[in-house]
Amino acid sequence: MRVSDKARVRQRRIVHGVLVLISFSLMFLGKADLAALRNLRMGSNDFLAPIVDVVSGPIRGIETMIEGVRTVASLRAENVRLQGENDLLKRWRRRAEILESENRQLRSVTGAATVENRTPITARAVTAPGGGFAHTMLISIGSEKGIVRGNPVVTADGLVGIVIDVGRAYARVLLISDINARIPVILASSSWPGLTVGQNGQFLDLQFLPDEAKPKIGELVLTSGHGGVLPNGLPVGRVDQIKDGKIRVQPAVDFRHLSYLSVLVGGLDGIDNSNLDLADFYTPMPIDDPTRLLEGLNSSGKRK
Amino acid sequence: MKDQRSYFEKADFQSDLPLQLLTAALGLTLVFLELAVAQWPVFYGSAPNLSLIFIYGMIMYHVKYMPVFTIFLIGIISDFLLSDLLGGRATSFMLLAYVMQLRLVRLQQSDFGQLWVDFAVSCAAVSLFQLLLFSAVNFAIPSLSPILFQIGATLILFPIGFVLIFAVHRLLQKVKMV
Repeated sequence: MRVSDKARVRQRRIVHGVLVLISFSLMFLGKADLAALRNLRMGSNDFLAPIVDVVSGPIRGIETMIEGVRTVASLRAENVRLQGENDLLKRWRRRAEILESENRQLRSVTGAATVENRTPITARAVTAPGGGFAHTMLISIGSEKGIVRGNPVVTADGLVGIVIDVGRAYARVLLISDINARIPVILASSSWPGLTVGQNGQFLDLQFLPDEAKPKIGELVLTSGHGGVLPNGLPVGRVDQIKDGKIRVQPAVDFRHLSYLSVLVGGLDGIDNSNLDLADFYTPMPIDDPTRLLEGLNSSGKRK
Repeated sequence: MKDQRSYFEKADFQSDLPLQLLTAALGLTLVFLELAVAQWPVFYGSAPNLSLIFIYGMIMYHVKYMPVFTIFLIGIISDFLLSDLLGGRATSFMLLAYVMQLRLVRLQQSDFGQLWVDFAVSCAAVSLFQLLLFSAVNFAIPSLSPILFQIGATLILFPIGFVLIFAVHRLLQKVKMV
């Protein structure tokens, strides 16, 4: 080996070492959640997301084609199923109208306030998670449309996640299935509060339920609205399995088929969304105070 | 006396830079393709690691067109887009490249079966490295099934990628001979 070759090999090794050192340091800097790094990340996403979008075009086309072939093959069976579902939905609609009317009357009696200060804005999913270490996705909407960190992202089925980074035209959503996602929830039928914790997999864990809570298989899990970041009453999923004290929740949304989503804008007044560690926002239910029970109140709100 | 050597130096028509740039562009396209493929329901949460197949194949046959900076770029861009641990993929890819270069002569003399086994070990090592870092930084162990699925899907696609890279390698050799 000549002297110049040796020098070149040494130089290459030094560059290799320096680059390994840089990327190793980036891991810790990235975890420190520095504003500059966050801006760099979203800036690069703003630049790269349109390219991904273009490359995804033909891939999406293939998926649509396969889906189309599959749909044509099962058209007749699908039609019968949809007719049955339509009849069922009509019955549910009548029931919902009755319940809505009853709910309105009850709200007027108790004086409960409803929070309806969020505006839905439609966005398209640009990427899917694609890796086992992070469940996030880019959506085609950003600060131009008034999106801010902390905005919830939903579909007609329920909660998808929460906006964690916002660029000019793109935003990154942390899915509820991510290992860092903690969603304050309640059990729909018993109202016991808990937290769903993502596992970077298909299911969520339901944790921090009080001992008295007895969740049932199939029971609906809704957002509790604790902390104010997420509105209450959004479906998160259903209890799927209870085994060895571990409660598994099947998300209400099928993340594998996400194309269009709604971002709920607004409703974050007074909330510090610069540090969106959801665990910090969770506030436990107040300790039971028997003097504040609703039983014994008359229609004007006075105690009998 | 004034050194006039630089004025009469020949233009370097044999520069590797254009091919290195082409390799980088191809590698980045594969990263974008990886993200696009992740939109198929079957690959949701665990798309095959196409860029790893590419890096492995290029180091095997065209190491001079695959400088370490290209590997860093491919890794860091996929880290940005996949929002994995920033630098996690870049570090693991570069370490793999280093280990491969130490064993390059032996690898080049192996048959396809041995290479496939070696790639399986490399792919598992890359995922394990990322898993260990992720667990250390997040104090949590993610679900292992998507990671295993990703390794499996990558291994299944390896022969296709390998055949393509090998075909390009043979083609380039023929061009050189002509």
